[in-house]
Amino acid sequence: MKGLVTDIQRFSLNDGPGIRTTVFLKGCNMRCAWCHNPETIDSRPELLFYPQNCIHCYKCVSVCPSKAHKLIGGEHRLFRDLCIRCGKCTAVCYAQALQMSGKLMSVEEIMREVLQDRTYYIDSMGGVTFSGGEVFCQPEFLLSLMDACRKEGIHTAIETNLASPFSVMEPVLKKTSLVMCDLKLWDSEEHRRWTGIGNEQVLKNIQLLDELGIPFIVRTPLIPGITDGDENLEQIADFLQGLHNLQYYELLNFNPLGNGKYDALSRENPFAKHRPLPQQQVQILLDALEQKHLAVKFA
Amino acid sequence: MMSQIQFINEFPEEEVFTYDKRIRLLKERKLRQTQEKIDREGGLDEDDYGRVVPPENAHFDFVPTHENGSFYGYKGWTLNYTRILNQHPLYCDPLDAFVGRGFFFMTRAKGEIWNPDYPYTELKKEFSKYNIVCGIGSDGHFTPDIQMGLELGWGGILEKLKKCRIENPVLECREFYDSEEQIVECIIAFLKRMAGEIQALSEQERNPYLKKNLQEMAQVNLKISDQSPSTMREAIQWMCWFSFFSRLYNRGPSGGQLDELLRPYFEADMAAGRITEEEAKFYIACLFLNDTRYYQLGGPDESGKDMTSRISYLILDAADWINIACNLTVRVHDDSDEELIRKGVEYLFKNKTGWPRFSGDNSLVNGFVKCGYTKELARRRLAGGCHWMSIPGMEYTLNDLVKVNTAKVFEVAYYDMMKHEEEPSVALLWEYFERHLGKAVAVTAKGILFHLKYQEKNEPELICNLLSHGPVEEGRDITKSARYFNMCIDGAGLATVADSFAACEQRIEKENKITFEDLTRHMQFNYSDFDGEYVRQMMLHSERYCGGDTAGDAWAKRISKTFSDMVREQSRLYPEICFIPGWFSWSNTLEFGRNIRATPNGRHDGEAISHGANPHSGFRKDGAVTAIANSIAAIQPGYGNTAPFQLEVDPGLANSPEAVDKMVSLIRTLLEQGNTLLNINIIDKDQILQAHQNPSLYPDLVVRVTGFTAFFSMLSPEFRQLVVDRVLAVNAGSEEERQVIEKETRRK
Repeated sequence: MKGLVTDIQRFSLNDGPGIRTTVFLKGCNMRCAWCHNPETIDSRPELLFYPQNCIHCYKCVSVCPSKAHKLIGGEHRLFRDLCIRCGKCTAVCYAQALQMSGKLMSVEEIMREVLQDRTYYIDSMGGVTFSGGEVFCQPEFLLSLMDACRKEGIHTAIETNLASPFSVMEPVLKKTSLVMCDLKLWDSEEHRRWTGIGNEQVLKNIQLLDELGIPFIVRTPLIPGITDGDENLEQIADFLQGLHNLQYYELLNFNPLGNGKYDALSRENPFAKHRPLPQQQVQILLDALEQKHLAVKFA
Repeated sequence: MMSQIQFINEFPEEEVFTYDKRIRLLKERKLRQTQEKIDREGGLDEDDYGRVVPPENAHFDFVPTHENGSFYGYKGWTLNYTRILNQHPLYCDPLDAFVGRGFFFMTRAKGEIWNPDYPYTELKKEFSKYNIVCGIGSDGHFTPDIQMGLELGWGGILEKLKKCRIENPVLECREFYDSEEQIVECIIAFLKRMAGEIQALSEQERNPYLKKNLQEMAQVNLKISDQSPSTMREAIQWMCWFSFFSRLYNRGPSGGQLDELLRPYFEADMAAGRITEEEAKFYIACLFLNDTRYYQLGGPDESGKDMTSRISYLILDAADWINIACNLTVRVHDDSDEELIRKGVEYLFKNKTGWPRFSGDNSLVNGFVKCGYTKELARRRLAGGCHWMSIPGMEYTLNDLVKVNTAKVFEVAYYDMMKHEEEPSVALLWEYFERHLGKAVAVTAKGILFHLKYQEKNEPELICNLLSHGPVEEGRDITKSARYFNMCIDGAGLATVADSFAACEQRIEKENKITFEDLTRHMQFNYSDFDGEYVRQMMLHSERYCGGDTAGDAWAKRISKTFSDMVREQSRLYPEICFIPGWFSWSNTLEFGRNIRATPNGRHDGEAISHGANPHSGFRKDGAVTAIANSIAAIQPGYGNTAPFQLEVDPGLANSPEAVDKMVSLIRTLLEQGNTLLNINIIDKDQILQAHQNPSLYPDLVVRVTGFTAFFSMLSPEFRQLVVDRVLAVNAGSEEERQVIEKETRRK
């Protein structure tokens, strides 16, 4: 079985306990307006174009079967509407001006990479984290990966938006050591406005997840002016208070690093000018949440 | 006034001092002195040494003993050393607990290093062909037995010399004893003069607190001029002076197991109520201010028992207090005190100044045992320099002084193959490389033998002999009388060569993208000809060393094993010498690169070769630390010398208590994996880029350059670039960001 993988990041320290390898699966069922990994959204391979790396060899022009690359006035121009995502141009672009996001990989190929850091997982109590996109856009492949990791005795974690039918997720969740899930907005309409879908299924799934008895962490990305309101965070915290297997509630500061990728995808980043919340402001939010008798962390 | 060396009546009479205030003031002065070194001497691409700029009116002249204007041998060195010592002024800071700062090294000022009466013209041709740093005429780089010095004192050393002279009444020992006795007598007289001058300064000083400190300093110095120290303050003052004496002579050796050296004095002082822990920390901080010597902490004693004690922690606390360039190594073994490692990591994260570093006991000990030594002896082999280990007082090594530029060997092999083979291939290239590497290693070993034969006539180790086991007893220089001759031969440029082999294999033979002939043409044009940059990018983005189970990794293992075997083969040819392989390039990375044209790994003509055992930058998209760690563990030469792992960490990773846990775990695991030495920089990418553009704005930025830490502002632009490149290799963020930054920094 093969799945579409955006990236594999070894020595990952921010995606769960210990030293981890994070496998990013491609495709997402939400459309968060602030997404800092826009190349992971589409469930098909996508061409990233970094003109600053272009050495003007124009090998891409000669290999492209759909004439998506053109030389106009001495300038390399990419016509995305013509691109058929075949990746032939990236195979000849050694300067890495053209890169394909999304590579079909087998479970064995991924495990070969994962197992290279096995000794680091053991001492640090780390393991493998499957992230996205949204991991449940490829549920069967994810299940196979989970089985492969369990066979090797490797701790597994998933990062998910929990916005899939529980029946699709349950087989994987039951085999996962830790779940990190997002709850971005309490108000469902607001959730729909900013992510493309309402939050009813997410809330229901969090409760079902809690009943499964699997340790989990709920996270809210702090998007200035959207998710960072007192009311939103307090309502989420109130909801979380009654859960039994919640390890802690985590606030993630806004990640401003997506700009280059938006440019490379020829898309506009609507949050290009946003910046992470200053520490003082975050502290005020943390102080307010302290009243909720909930373990809260900030990353 | 910046070139001042005595600071009397600098503060008002009523000024009150605490240890904390003294540390702050001493550090401020240290930063000003560093800036002065940059302004007057133009910086330095090496250790700080605690050295200060000499006063403008100071003038040190030498008496030549050779027609070339330099001086050599016992007589030349003794004459000039004693003469300089008799003239040397006192540097004295009443804020400090100790005196002992020096201005220069005689080796750097004396003129031609090697005595031309002992020529090695034929060897030189081969050294030049393979770009070998041969070590002939080099000095220091082994560890003296400081404990022996502390136990004997200078008076005891003089007595030992006189006693041994009687036991060795033969003519060939006379010159040795004559010289060493003169040196020690001169040292004792010098220390008595220093004590007197400090006493005189104390009489001038009006501030009562500083006056008292100077009076105590004078008493301490008088005591240790010929007696062995009995308190912690006396012991450290003795060590400061030993540093001075050895540095002045020839830059000198390393320090030793600092916690164990100081523990008896600390415990006795504490038991007698003579000292507080704060005072002890202050003394240790002043020791670091005095000199940046390499010291080891923790680790096993001969029996395997962990040596960590209370003072191990105080040493780390003291280093944190003064927080300047510092060369502390924490030795990690199976029974290490976990808290000491954790404390070290906490300070590494807190200060981001590259200390401490961590060494791996298992791989070092097991490797050294393969050379035929006992485990007990192997455990006594301490971190002593940029990348090297040494048993205090027992070894002569030429550590870090002998380098084979394997990238140059590759270049010679490549063009030799292209000249003689009609159908060049990777297999043939390997054959040529193996043949030339064998020749390079063999001639390097011959160079070492030549050095051992004649160095006594050139530059006897008159200071370190005194704290070594063998020279004084036998009446011969350590190059003739060391207990063990464990001669270091380091390879340099591993990644450059491995990546070149891998690129040829992948692009020429597996993928048929290019021929050897075309590649050669592009390289000869430095990839600037038609399609040259395209080919360069293709070769550059082949399967690289440290990519994780790549072709580059496989080639690196093969190269390292072959190199190790060849070095060890020299021990079979010359059984009296143990040759030990390592991978380390030190600052030669730049110079070695200048001597090599464009290489098949996409490296341009004249660019630096790879650093130590580290990969070239851009080795892997995610820059994964674990991938490098695995690859470097796999290429360890395996005989007790190191192939260090230089790790650059983004400060973003160091922002939580969990991050400390993860780093401790990483350190333990990568050392258990077989790595020998881990140097860590935690550097903010933006800060290092700004400091690179304008170093004077960051006078207190300390980085681990190679094995040593240094003030970043003191480094040359090229060397700063080297550090920046390494940081960018793993901290630049995305690949595209890295490439943009690299282009920007090089343009500037």
